[in-house]
Amino acid sequence: MRRSLFRFVDRFELCITYLFCFSLNLIFDYVKSLSVDSYILKAFLENFMNYQTLINFLFTFIVVVFHYQMLHRKKTEIYCRILVGDTILNITIRYTLECLMILGFVYLLSIAINIYLNFNLISNLYLVCIFVIYILISAVRVGKYETF
Amino acid sequence: MKLFEFFITKIFLRKVIFSIAMILLFFMANYTIFTATRLILSTFQGYQEVKSMNQEGTYIANLNPDSNIDMDAIAENGTQKVYDYLNNNFKYAFYTDGFIASLPNNDDMEISFSYMNEEYYKLNQFELSQGTDLNFDYQFNKDKEIPVLVGKGLSKTYPMGSTIKIELPVLEQSMTLKVQGVLKQNAYHSNFHALNSKNYYNFSVFLPVNQEFITHANIDLQLNGLMDIIILQTTKEKVTNLSEIMQDNLGLKFNFFSQKENFDYFNEYYLHSLKIMSIITLILVVIIICHSVWNALVSIRLMLKDFTINLLVGLSYSKLRKILYSYFGILFSINLIVIFFITAYSRYGSWLRKDAAFVTYGLFGLIGMDWFALLVVFLFDIIFGMIIVEIMLRKIKKIPISLGVLQ
Repeated sequence: MRRSLFRFVDRFELCITYLFCFSLNLIFDYVKSLSVDSYILKAFLENFMNYQTLINFLFTFIVVVFHYQMLHRKKTEIYCRILVGDTILNITIRYTLECLMILGFVYLLSIAINIYLNFNLISNLYLVCIFVIYILISAVRVGKYETF
Repeated sequence: MKLFEFFITKIFLRKVIFSIAMILLFFMANYTIFTATRLILSTFQGYQEVKSMNQEGTYIANLNPDSNIDMDAIAENGTQKVYDYLNNNFKYAFYTDGFIASLPNNDDMEISFSYMNEEYYKLNQFELSQGTDLNFDYQFNKDKEIPVLVGKGLSKTYPMGSTIKIELPVLEQSMTLKVQGVLKQNAYHSNFHALNSKNYYNFSVFLPVNQEFITHANIDLQLNGLMDIIILQTTKEKVTNLSEIMQDNLGLKFNFFSQKENFDYFNEYYLHSLKIMSIITLILVVIIICHSVWNALVSIRLMLKDFTINLLVGLSYSKLRKILYSYFGILFSINLIVIFFITAYSRYGSWLRKDAAFVTYGLFGLIGMDWFALLVVFLFDIIFGMIIVEIMLRKIKKIPISLGVLQ
Protein backbone atom coordinates (compact mmCIF):
# COMPACT_ATOMS: atom_id res chain seq x y z
CA MET A 1 0.00 0.00 0.00
CA ARG A 2 2.95 2.27 -0.72
CA ARG A 3 1.00 4.24 -3.28
CA SER A 4 -2.24 4.33 -1.38
CA LEU A 5 -4.46 7.40 -1.27
CA PHE A 6 -5.00 6.70 2.40
CA ARG A 7 -2.94 8.21 5.19
CA PHE A 8 -2.99 6.87 8.72
CA VAL A 9 -5.65 9.41 9.79
CA ASP A 10 -7.90 8.39 6.87
CA ARG A 11 -7.60 4.70 7.70
CA PHE A 12 -8.29 5.47 11.33
CA GLU A 13 -11.35 7.59 10.49
CA LEU A 14 -12.78 4.94 8.18
CA CYS A 15 -12.18 2.25 10.80
CA ILE A 16 -13.97 4.35 13.41
CA THR A 17 -16.96 5.02 11.15
CA TYR A 18 -17.33 1.33 10.25
CA LEU A 19 -16.80 0.34 13.85
CA PHE A 20 -19.47 2.77 14.98
CA CYS A 21 -22.07 1.35 12.57
CA PHE A 22 -21.29 -2.27 13.53
CA SER A 23 -21.28 -1.37 17.23
CA LEU A 24 -24.67 0.28 16.90
CA ASN A 25 -26.09 -2.91 15.42
CA LEU A 26 -24.38 -4.91 18.15
CA ILE A 27 -25.89 -2.68 20.85
CA PHE A 28 -29.34 -3.22 19.36
CA ASP A 29 -28.79 -7.00 19.40
CA TYR A 30 -27.50 -6.81 22.94
CA VAL A 31 -30.50 -4.82 24.17
CA LYS A 32 -32.80 -7.30 22.41
CA SER A 33 -31.14 -10.15 24.28
CA LEU A 34 -31.69 -8.47 27.64
CA SER A 35 -34.81 -9.37 29.56
CA VAL A 36 -35.85 -5.91 30.67
CA ASP A 37 -38.31 -6.13 33.55
CA SER A 38 -39.08 -2.47 33.70
CA TYR A 39 -42.19 -1.66 31.69
CA ILE A 40 -41.22 1.97 31.24
CA LEU A 41 -37.70 1.10 30.06
CA LYS A 42 -39.16 -1.43 27.66
CA ALA A 43 -41.54 1.21 26.27
CA PHE A 44 -38.62 3.60 25.81
CA LEU A 45 -36.36 1.05 24.11
CA GLU A 46 -39.16 -0.14 21.83
CA ASN A 47 -39.17 3.31 20.23
CA PHE A 48 -35.73 2.45 18.89
CA MET A 49 -35.82 -1.34 18.61
CA ASN A 50 -38.81 -1.21 16.24
CA TYR A 51 -36.74 0.85 13.81
CA GLN A 52 -33.40 -0.94 14.23
CA THR A 53 -32.73 -1.44 10.52
CA LEU A 54 -33.81 2.08 9.59
CA ILE A 55 -31.67 3.68 12.33
CA ASN A 56 -28.66 1.56 11.37
CA PHE A 57 -29.16 2.47 7.73
CA LEU A 58 -29.42 6.19 8.48
CA PHE A 59 -26.23 6.09 10.50
CA THR A 60 -24.36 4.46 7.60
CA PHE A 61 -24.63 7.89 6.01
CA ILE A 62 -21.52 8.89 7.96
CA VAL A 63 -19.59 6.40 5.78
CA VAL A 64 -20.95 8.19 2.70
CA VAL A 65 -19.70 11.45 4.20
CA PHE A 66 -16.28 9.88 4.75
CA HIS A 67 -15.96 8.63 1.16
CA TYR A 68 -17.21 11.92 -0.24
CA GLN A 69 -14.83 14.13 1.70
CA MET A 70 -11.91 11.72 1.28
CA LEU A 71 -12.14 11.76 -2.52
CA HIS A 72 -12.73 15.51 -2.59
CA ARG A 73 -9.58 16.10 -0.60
CA LYS A 74 -7.57 13.70 -2.74
CA LYS A 75 -8.55 15.01 -6.15
CA THR A 76 -5.28 16.93 -6.60
CA GLU A 77 -3.30 13.91 -5.47
CA ILE A 78 -5.12 11.67 -7.95
CA TYR A 79 -4.42 14.10 -10.77
CA CYS A 80 -0.74 14.39 -9.80
CA ARG A 81 -0.38 10.61 -9.67
CA ILE A 82 -1.73 10.35 -13.19
CA LEU A 83 0.77 13.03 -14.28
CA VAL A 84 3.68 10.94 -13.00
CA GLY A 85 2.56 7.79 -14.78
CA ASP A 86 -0.09 6.12 -12.62
CA THR A 87 -3.38 5.08 -14.21
CA ILE A 88 -6.88 5.86 -12.99
CA LEU A 89 -7.71 2.14 -13.11
CA ASN A 90 -4.82 1.27 -10.78
CA ILE A 91 -5.70 4.10 -8.42
CA THR A 92 -9.34 2.96 -8.36
CA ILE A 93 -8.38 -0.69 -7.76
CA ARG A 94 -6.00 0.25 -4.94
CA TYR A 95 -8.60 2.53 -3.37
CA THR A 96 -11.34 -0.12 -3.60
CA LEU A 97 -9.10 -2.88 -2.24
CA GLU A 98 -7.99 -0.80 0.69
CA CYS A 99 -11.54 0.18 1.57
CA LEU A 100 -12.58 -3.48 1.35
CA MET A 101 -9.64 -4.54 3.52
CA ILE A 102 -10.55 -2.04 6.21
CA LEU A 103 -14.19 -3.14 5.98
CA GLY A 104 -13.12 -6.81 6.19
CA PHE A 105 -10.95 -6.10 9.21
CA VAL A 106 -13.74 -4.28 11.08
CA TYR A 107 -16.28 -6.93 10.07
CA LEU A 108 -14.04 -9.73 11.38
CA LEU A 109 -13.69 -7.78 14.59
CA SER A 110 -17.47 -7.48 14.88
CA ILE A 111 -17.86 -11.21 14.14
CA ALA A 112 -15.39 -11.99 16.91
CA ILE A 113 -17.44 -9.88 19.32
CA ASN A 114 -20.65 -11.55 18.10
CA ILE A 115 -19.14 -15.00 18.72
CA TYR A 116 -17.96 -13.93 22.15
CA LEU A 117 -21.41 -12.63 23.06
CA ASN A 118 -23.16 -15.56 21.39
CA PHE A 119 -25.10 -13.39 18.97
CA ASN A 120 -26.34 -14.13 15.49
CA LEU A 121 -23.38 -13.91 13.11
CA ILE A 122 -25.35 -12.77 10.09
CA SER A 123 -27.22 -10.00 11.87
CA ASN A 124 -24.85 -7.35 10.52
CA LEU A 125 -24.22 -8.86 7.11
CA TYR A 126 -26.60 -6.38 5.51
CA LEU A 127 -24.35 -3.57 6.74
CA VAL A 128 -21.45 -5.14 4.84
CA CYS A 129 -23.57 -5.16 1.67
CA ILE A 130 -24.46 -1.49 2.16
CA PHE A 131 -20.82 -0.56 2.74
CA VAL A 132 -19.66 -2.52 -0.32
CA ILE A 133 -22.21 -0.58 -2.40
CA TYR A 134 -20.86 2.69 -0.97
CA ILE A 135 -17.29 1.60 -1.80
CA LEU A 136 -18.23 0.73 -5.37
CA ILE A 137 -20.05 4.03 -5.87
CA SER A 138 -17.09 5.97 -4.49
CA ALA A 139 -14.72 3.89 -6.68
CA VAL A 140 -16.70 5.02 -9.72
CA ARG A 141 -16.30 8.60 -8.52
CA VAL A 142 -12.49 8.25 -8.42
CA GLY A 143 -12.61 8.28 -12.23
CA LYS A 144 -14.15 11.75 -12.11
CA TYR A 145 -10.86 13.21 -10.92
CA GLU A 146 -8.84 12.00 -13.90
CA THR A 147 -8.88 15.56 -15.22
CA PHE A 148 -8.29 18.44 -12.83
CA MET B 1 -29.86 38.37 3.14
CA LYS B 2 -28.12 38.22 -0.26
CA LEU B 3 -24.95 37.06 1.42
CA PHE B 4 -26.86 34.39 3.29
CA GLU B 5 -28.50 33.21 0.08
CA PHE B 6 -25.10 33.11 -1.56
CA PHE B 7 -23.66 30.96 1.23
CA ILE B 8 -26.62 28.58 1.16
CA THR B 9 -26.80 28.11 -2.59
CA LYS B 10 -23.14 28.40 -3.56
CA ILE B 11 -21.36 26.87 -0.58
CA PHE B 12 -23.54 24.70 1.65
CA LEU B 13 -25.81 23.22 -1.00
CA ARG B 14 -22.92 22.57 -3.36
CA LYS B 15 -21.82 19.94 -0.88
CA VAL B 16 -25.31 18.82 0.02
CA ILE B 17 -24.11 15.52 1.52
CA PHE B 18 -22.97 17.35 4.65
CA SER B 19 -26.32 19.08 5.03
CA ILE B 20 -28.16 15.76 4.66
CA ALA B 21 -25.82 14.08 7.18
CA MET B 22 -26.38 16.97 9.61
CA ILE B 23 -30.16 16.75 9.22
CA LEU B 24 -30.08 12.98 9.86
CA LEU B 25 -27.87 13.33 12.93
CA PHE B 26 -29.99 16.16 14.32
CA PHE B 27 -33.09 14.11 13.67
CA MET B 28 -31.70 11.17 15.69
CA ALA B 29 -30.81 13.48 18.57
CA ASN B 30 -34.16 15.27 18.44
CA TYR B 31 -36.15 12.05 18.21
CA THR B 32 -34.28 10.58 21.19
CA ILE B 33 -34.86 13.66 23.33
CA PHE B 34 -38.48 13.99 22.24
CA THR B 35 -39.23 10.35 23.08
CA ALA B 36 -37.48 10.47 26.44
CA THR B 37 -39.11 13.76 27.46
CA ARG B 38 -42.59 12.55 26.56
CA LEU B 39 -42.11 9.30 28.44
CA ILE B 40 -40.74 11.02 31.55
CA LEU B 41 -43.55 13.57 31.48
CA SER B 42 -46.19 10.89 31.02
CA THR B 43 -44.75 8.91 33.94
CA PHE B 44 -44.80 11.96 36.20
CA GLN B 45 -48.40 12.71 35.20
CA GLY B 46 -49.24 9.14 36.20
CA TYR B 47 -47.30 9.56 39.41
CA GLN B 48 -49.20 12.75 40.28
CA GLU B 49 -52.47 10.89 39.69
CA VAL B 50 -51.48 8.03 41.97
CA LYS B 51 -50.05 10.47 44.51
CA SER B 52 -53.46 12.09 44.98
CA MET B 53 -54.84 8.68 45.99
CA ASN B 54 -51.83 7.43 47.84
CA GLN B 55 -52.59 9.07 51.18
CA GLU B 56 -51.74 7.83 54.65
CA GLY B 57 -54.10 5.04 55.68
CA THR B 58 -54.88 4.23 52.08
CA TYR B 59 -54.14 0.77 50.71
CA ILE B 60 -54.28 -0.07 47.02
CA ALA B 61 -55.04 -3.67 46.03
CA ASN B 62 -52.76 -5.55 43.72
CA LEU B 63 -53.31 -9.09 42.53
CA ASN B 64 -50.35 -11.24 43.48
CA PRO B 65 -48.43 -12.07 40.26
CA ASP B 66 -48.48 -15.78 41.22
CA SER B 67 -52.29 -15.88 41.39
CA ASN B 68 -54.07 -17.13 38.31
CA ILE B 69 -57.65 -16.11 37.76
CA ASP B 70 -59.81 -19.20 37.38
CA MET B 71 -63.39 -18.09 36.96
CA ASP B 72 -64.72 -21.62 37.57
CA ALA B 73 -63.03 -21.74 40.97
CA ILE B 74 -64.77 -18.58 42.12
CA ALA B 75 -68.00 -19.36 43.91
CA GLU B 76 -71.15 -17.78 42.48
CA ASN B 77 -71.67 -15.46 45.38
CA GLY B 78 -67.95 -15.26 46.31
CA THR B 79 -67.45 -11.76 44.99
CA GLN B 80 -70.68 -10.58 46.62
CA LYS B 81 -69.49 -11.89 49.99
CA VAL B 82 -66.30 -9.85 49.58
CA TYR B 83 -68.34 -6.75 48.75
CA ASP B 84 -70.58 -7.38 51.76
CA TYR B 85 -67.47 -7.53 53.95
CA LEU B 86 -66.15 -4.37 52.31
CA ASN B 87 -69.43 -2.50 52.78
CA ASN B 88 -69.63 -3.44 56.45
CA ASN B 89 -66.04 -2.75 57.41
CA PHE B 90 -64.42 -0.29 55.03
CA LYS B 91 -64.65 2.90 53.09
CA TYR B 92 -63.41 2.08 49.61
CA ALA B 93 -62.88 3.67 46.19
CA PHE B 94 -64.17 1.48 43.40
CA TYR B 95 -63.14 1.93 39.77
CA THR B 96 -63.09 -0.28 36.74
CA ASP B 97 -63.07 0.52 33.04
CA GLY B 98 -62.60 -0.96 29.61
CA PHE B 99 -66.15 -2.33 29.28
CA ILE B 100 -66.89 -1.79 25.63
CA ALA B 101 -70.47 -1.27 24.55
CA SER B 102 -72.00 -0.63 21.19
CA LEU B 103 -73.22 2.92 21.27
CA PRO B 104 -73.85 4.71 17.97
CA ASN B 105 -71.90 7.95 17.64
CA ASN B 106 -70.81 10.40 14.94
CA ASP B 107 -67.20 9.20 14.92
CA ASP B 108 -67.97 5.46 14.85
CA MET B 109 -65.83 4.86 17.92
CA GLU B 110 -66.22 1.94 20.28
CA ILE B 111 -67.38 3.41 23.54
CA SER B 112 -65.73 2.41 26.79
CA PHE B 113 -67.73 2.47 30.03
CA SER B 114 -65.98 3.41 33.26
CA TYR B 115 -67.68 2.53 36.52
CA MET B 116 -66.76 4.33 39.71
CA ASN B 117 -68.18 4.90 43.15
CA GLU B 118 -68.47 8.19 45.01
CA GLU B 119 -65.20 7.80 46.92
CA TYR B 120 -63.21 7.29 43.75
CA TYR B 121 -64.93 10.25 42.11
CA LYS B 122 -64.09 12.47 45.08
CA LEU B 123 -60.46 11.34 45.09
CA ASN B 124 -59.95 12.20 41.44
CA GLN B 125 -61.88 15.46 41.17
CA PHE B 126 -62.51 15.24 37.45
CA GLU B 127 -62.81 18.59 35.73
CA LEU B 128 -65.95 19.20 33.73
CA SER B 129 -66.36 21.49 30.75
CA GLN B 130 -70.17 21.48 31.11
CA GLY B 131 -72.79 20.27 33.54
CA THR B 132 -72.68 19.17 37.12
CA ASP B 133 -70.97 16.46 39.14
CA LEU B 134 -72.21 12.90 39.27
CA ASN B 135 -74.98 11.94 41.62
CA PHE B 136 -74.50 8.61 43.38
CA ASP B 137 -77.71 8.55 45.40
CA TYR B 138 -79.99 7.22 42.70
CA GLN B 139 -82.08 4.14 43.40
CA PHE B 140 -81.31 1.26 41.16
CA ASN B 141 -84.39 0.07 39.17
CA LYS B 142 -86.54 2.78 40.72
CA ASP B 143 -84.96 5.84 39.20
CA LYS B 144 -85.70 5.79 35.55
CA GLU B 145 -82.50 7.46 34.50
CA ILE B 146 -78.95 7.10 35.78
CA PRO B 147 -76.93 10.33 35.54
CA VAL B 148 -73.66 9.92 33.61
CA LEU B 149 -70.72 11.99 32.40
CA VAL B 150 -69.45 11.69 28.84
CA GLY B 151 -66.16 12.56 27.16
CA LYS B 152 -65.81 15.49 24.79
CA GLY B 153 -65.94 13.33 21.66
CA LEU B 154 -69.14 11.65 22.73
CA SER B 155 -70.78 14.95 23.74
CA LYS B 156 -71.25 15.80 20.05
CA THR B 157 -73.67 12.89 19.65
CA TYR B 158 -74.99 12.95 23.20
CA PRO B 159 -75.01 16.55 24.43
CA MET B 160 -75.98 17.70 27.90
CA GLY B 161 -79.44 16.55 28.94
CA SER B 162 -79.76 13.87 26.26
CA THR B 163 -80.62 10.30 27.17
CA ILE B 164 -78.93 7.08 26.12
CA LYS B 165 -80.85 3.82 26.04
CA ILE B 166 -78.51 0.93 26.21
CA GLU B 167 -78.25 -2.64 27.34
CA LEU B 168 -75.35 -2.69 29.73
CA PRO B 169 -73.45 -5.99 29.47
CA VAL B 170 -72.40 -5.80 33.12
CA LEU B 171 -76.05 -5.72 34.23
CA GLU B 172 -77.46 -7.77 31.37
CA GLN B 173 -80.43 -5.45 31.32
CA SER B 174 -81.50 -2.32 29.54
CA MET B 175 -80.88 1.02 31.21
CA THR B 176 -81.52 4.67 30.46
CA LEU B 177 -78.63 7.00 31.08
CA LYS B 178 -78.92 10.76 31.23
CA VAL B 179 -75.95 12.97 30.30
CA GLN B 180 -75.41 15.20 33.30
CA GLY B 181 -72.03 16.61 32.40
CA VAL B 182 -69.21 16.64 29.87
CA LEU B 183 -65.63 15.92 30.88
CA LYS B 184 -62.87 18.34 29.97
CA GLN B 185 -61.13 17.38 26.75
CA ASN B 186 -58.31 14.85 27.02
CA ALA B 187 -59.23 13.80 30.58
CA TYR B 188 -57.16 10.69 31.22
CA HIS B 189 -56.53 7.81 33.56
CA SER B 190 -53.05 6.37 34.07
CA ASN B 191 -52.50 2.69 34.44
CA PHE B 192 -51.52 2.12 38.08
CA HIS B 193 -49.11 -0.64 37.08
CA ALA B 194 -47.54 1.25 34.16
CA LEU B 195 -47.66 4.92 35.03
CA ASN B 196 -46.43 6.07 31.64
CA SER B 197 -49.40 4.59 29.80
CA LYS B 198 -52.76 6.29 29.93
CA ASN B 199 -56.21 6.01 28.48
CA TYR B 200 -58.10 9.10 27.38
CA TYR B 201 -61.75 9.57 28.25
CA ASN B 202 -62.82 11.49 25.13
CA PHE B 203 -65.03 8.59 24.06
CA SER B 204 -65.95 7.21 27.46
CA VAL B 205 -69.02 7.20 29.65
CA PHE B 206 -68.61 7.63 33.40
CA LEU B 207 -71.25 5.63 35.20
CA PRO B 208 -71.74 6.19 38.92
CA VAL B 209 -72.08 3.00 40.91
CA ASN B 210 -73.38 2.46 44.42
CA GLN B 211 -73.69 -0.65 46.55
CA GLU B 212 -76.99 -1.58 44.94
CA PHE B 213 -75.55 -1.30 41.46
CA ILE B 214 -72.58 -3.54 42.35
CA THR B 215 -74.94 -6.09 43.89
CA HIS B 216 -76.91 -6.29 40.63
CA ALA B 217 -73.83 -6.35 38.40
CA ASN B 218 -72.37 -9.55 36.99
CA ILE B 219 -69.18 -11.18 38.23
CA ASP B 220 -67.03 -9.47 35.55
CA LEU B 221 -67.65 -6.03 36.95
CA GLN B 222 -67.44 -7.19 40.55
CA LEU B 223 -64.15 -9.02 40.06
CA ASN B 224 -62.56 -6.31 37.90
CA GLY B 225 -63.50 -3.73 40.49
CA LEU B 226 -61.61 -5.67 43.14
CA MET B 227 -58.40 -5.72 41.10
CA ASP B 228 -57.54 -2.08 41.78
CA ILE B 229 -59.76 -1.41 44.77
CA ILE B 230 -58.53 1.33 47.07
CA ILE B 231 -59.24 0.94 50.75
CA LEU B 232 -59.40 4.25 52.59
CA GLN B 233 -58.70 5.24 56.19
CA THR B 234 -57.75 1.81 57.40
CA THR B 235 -54.91 -0.12 59.00
CA LYS B 236 -52.54 -2.88 57.92
CA GLU B 237 -54.28 -5.42 60.21
CA LYS B 238 -57.69 -4.71 58.75
CA VAL B 239 -56.53 -5.06 55.14
CA THR B 240 -54.70 -8.27 56.04
CA ASN B 241 -58.03 -9.67 57.21
CA LEU B 242 -59.63 -8.44 54.01
CA SER B 243 -56.94 -10.17 51.98
CA GLU B 244 -57.73 -13.43 53.80
CA ILE B 245 -61.46 -13.01 53.14
CA MET B 246 -60.70 -12.45 49.47
CA GLN B 247 -58.49 -15.52 49.31
CA ASP B 248 -61.17 -17.67 50.98
CA ASN B 249 -63.95 -16.51 48.68
CA LEU B 250 -62.12 -15.96 45.42
CA GLY B 251 -59.08 -18.19 45.70
CA LEU B 252 -56.95 -15.19 44.72
CA LYS B 253 -54.15 -13.67 46.72
CA PHE B 254 -54.33 -9.90 46.88
CA ASN B 255 -51.58 -7.67 48.23
CA PHE B 256 -52.44 -4.35 49.78
CA PHE B 257 -49.69 -1.80 49.62
CA SER B 258 -49.45 1.12 52.01
CA GLN B 259 -48.49 4.68 51.11
CA LYS B 260 -44.87 4.08 52.12
CA GLU B 261 -44.64 0.82 50.17
CA ASN B 262 -46.06 2.50 47.09
CA PHE B 263 -43.59 5.38 47.34
CA ASP B 264 -40.71 2.95 47.91
CA TYR B 265 -41.84 0.99 44.87
CA PHE B 266 -41.91 4.18 42.83
CA ASN B 267 -38.41 5.13 43.95
CA GLU B 268 -37.04 1.68 43.36
CA TYR B 269 -38.78 0.82 40.11
CA TYR B 270 -39.75 4.01 38.28
CA LEU B 271 -37.01 6.33 39.46
CA HIS B 272 -34.39 3.68 38.69
CA SER B 273 -35.87 3.10 35.22
CA LEU B 274 -36.07 6.83 34.55
CA LYS B 275 -32.45 7.22 35.62
CA ILE B 276 -31.32 4.46 33.24
CA MET B 277 -33.43 5.99 30.48
CA SER B 278 -31.89 9.42 31.06
CA ILE B 279 -28.39 7.93 31.01
CA ILE B 280 -29.10 6.10 27.73
CA THR B 281 -30.50 9.32 26.24
CA LEU B 282 -27.47 11.29 27.40
CA ILE B 283 -25.02 8.75 25.94
CA LEU B 284 -26.89 8.68 22.62
CA VAL B 285 -26.99 12.47 22.44
CA VAL B 286 -23.28 12.80 23.28
CA ILE B 287 -22.41 10.26 20.56
CA ILE B 288 -24.56 12.13 18.06
CA ILE B 289 -23.01 15.47 19.07
CA CYS B 290 -19.53 13.97 18.53
CA HIS B 291 -20.56 12.76 15.10
CA SER B 292 -22.09 16.09 14.21
CA VAL B 293 -18.92 17.90 15.28
CA TRP B 294 -16.86 15.50 13.14
CA ASN B 295 -19.22 16.09 10.22
CA ALA B 296 -18.99 19.86 10.71
CA LEU B 297 -15.18 19.80 10.87
CA VAL B 298 -14.98 17.63 7.77
CA SER B 299 -17.26 20.04 5.94
CA ILE B 300 -15.01 22.93 7.04
CA ARG B 301 -12.06 21.08 5.49
CA LEU B 302 -13.80 21.09 2.12
CA MET B 303 -15.40 24.51 2.33
CA LEU B 304 -12.40 26.29 3.81
CA LYS B 305 -11.42 27.87 0.53
CA ASP B 306 -14.91 29.36 0.06
CA PHE B 307 -14.99 30.68 3.61
CA THR B 308 -11.50 32.22 3.51
CA ILE B 309 -12.02 33.85 0.11
CA ASN B 310 -15.11 35.56 1.49
CA LEU B 311 -13.21 36.57 4.62
CA LEU B 312 -10.46 38.00 2.41
CA VAL B 313 -12.89 40.18 0.47
CA GLY B 314 -14.42 41.70 3.58
CA LEU B 315 -16.68 39.20 5.33
CA SER B 316 -16.33 39.64 9.09
CA TYR B 317 -16.29 36.73 11.54
CA SER B 318 -19.41 38.10 13.23
CA LYS B 319 -21.28 38.02 9.91
CA LEU B 320 -20.00 34.51 9.26
CA ARG B 321 -21.24 33.52 12.71
CA LYS B 322 -24.69 34.92 11.90
CA ILE B 323 -24.73 33.01 8.60
CA LEU B 324 -23.77 29.76 10.30
CA TYR B 325 -26.40 30.25 13.02
CA SER B 326 -29.05 30.97 10.38
CA TYR B 327 -27.98 27.89 8.38
CA PHE B 328 -28.21 25.62 11.42
CA GLY B 329 -31.46 27.33 12.39
CA ILE B 330 -32.91 26.18 9.06
CA LEU B 331 -31.64 22.61 9.57
CA PHE B 332 -33.13 22.49 13.08
CA SER B 333 -36.43 23.92 11.84
CA ILE B 334 -36.64 21.16 9.21
CA ASN B 335 -36.14 18.59 11.96
CA LEU B 336 -38.68 20.16 14.28
CA ILE B 337 -41.23 20.20 11.45
CA VAL B 338 -40.53 16.52 10.68
CA ILE B 339 -40.95 15.53 14.34
CA PHE B 340 -44.09 17.65 14.56
CA PHE B 341 -45.59 15.84 11.53
CA ILE B 342 -44.61 12.39 12.84
CA THR B 343 -46.29 13.17 16.17
CA ALA B 344 -49.37 14.65 14.52
CA TYR B 345 -49.62 11.59 12.26
CA SER B 346 -49.26 9.23 15.21
CA ARG B 347 -52.02 11.07 17.10
CA TYR B 348 -54.18 11.12 13.97
CA GLY B 349 -53.48 7.38 13.60
CA SER B 350 -55.61 6.75 16.71
CA TRP B 351 -58.53 8.42 14.94
CA LEU B 352 -57.95 6.34 11.82
CA ARG B 353 -57.74 3.11 13.82
CA LYS B 354 -60.81 4.15 15.84
CA ASP B 355 -58.74 3.53 18.93
CA ALA B 356 -61.05 5.37 21.33
CA ALA B 357 -58.77 4.98 24.37
CA PHE B 358 -55.96 6.94 22.68
CA VAL B 359 -57.92 9.51 20.71
CA THR B 360 -57.00 13.05 21.74
CA TYR B 361 -58.05 16.58 20.90
CA GLY B 362 -55.65 19.46 20.40
CA LEU B 363 -54.07 21.80 17.91
CA PHE B 364 -53.12 19.55 14.96
CA GLY B 365 -53.95 16.62 17.26
CA LEU B 366 -51.03 17.38 19.57
CA ILE B 367 -51.64 17.60 23.31
CA GLY B 368 -49.78 19.55 26.00
CA MET B 369 -47.27 16.80 26.60
CA ASP B 370 -46.25 16.81 22.91
CA TRP B 371 -45.84 20.58 22.80
CA PHE B 372 -43.73 20.51 25.94
CA ALA B 373 -41.48 17.80 24.48
CA LEU B 374 -41.15 19.87 21.28
CA LEU B 375 -40.15 22.86 23.42
CA VAL B 376 -37.46 20.78 25.15
CA VAL B 377 -36.19 19.66 21.73
CA PHE B 378 -36.15 23.30 20.58
CA LEU B 379 -34.09 24.35 23.64
CA PHE B 380 -31.74 21.43 23.10
CA ASP B 381 -31.32 22.46 19.45
CA ILE B 382 -30.27 25.96 20.50
CA ILE B 383 -27.52 24.50 22.73
CA PHE B 384 -26.59 21.93 20.09
CA GLY B 385 -26.37 24.66 17.42
CA MET B 386 -24.22 26.89 19.64
CA ILE B 387 -21.75 24.07 20.29
CA ILE B 388 -21.35 23.22 16.60
CA VAL B 389 -21.22 26.79 15.27
CA GLU B 390 -18.64 27.88 17.85
CA ILE B 391 -16.47 24.83 17.14
CA MET B 392 -16.71 25.51 13.40
CA LEU B 393 -15.75 29.16 13.91
CA ARG B 394 -12.83 28.25 16.11
CA LYS B 395 -11.60 25.92 13.41
CA ILE B 396 -11.97 28.59 10.70
CA LYS B 397 -10.24 31.23 12.83
CA LYS B 398 -7.32 28.90 13.51
CA ILE B 399 -6.43 28.68 9.83
CA PRO B 400 -4.70 31.75 8.38
CA ILE B 401 -6.70 33.35 5.55
CA SER B 402 -3.73 33.20 3.16
CA LEU B 403 -3.35 29.44 3.70
CA GLY B 404 -7.08 28.84 3.32
CA VAL B 405 -7.25 30.75 0.05
CA LEU B 406 -4.32 28.80 -1.38
CA GLN B 407 -6.17 25.54 -0.71
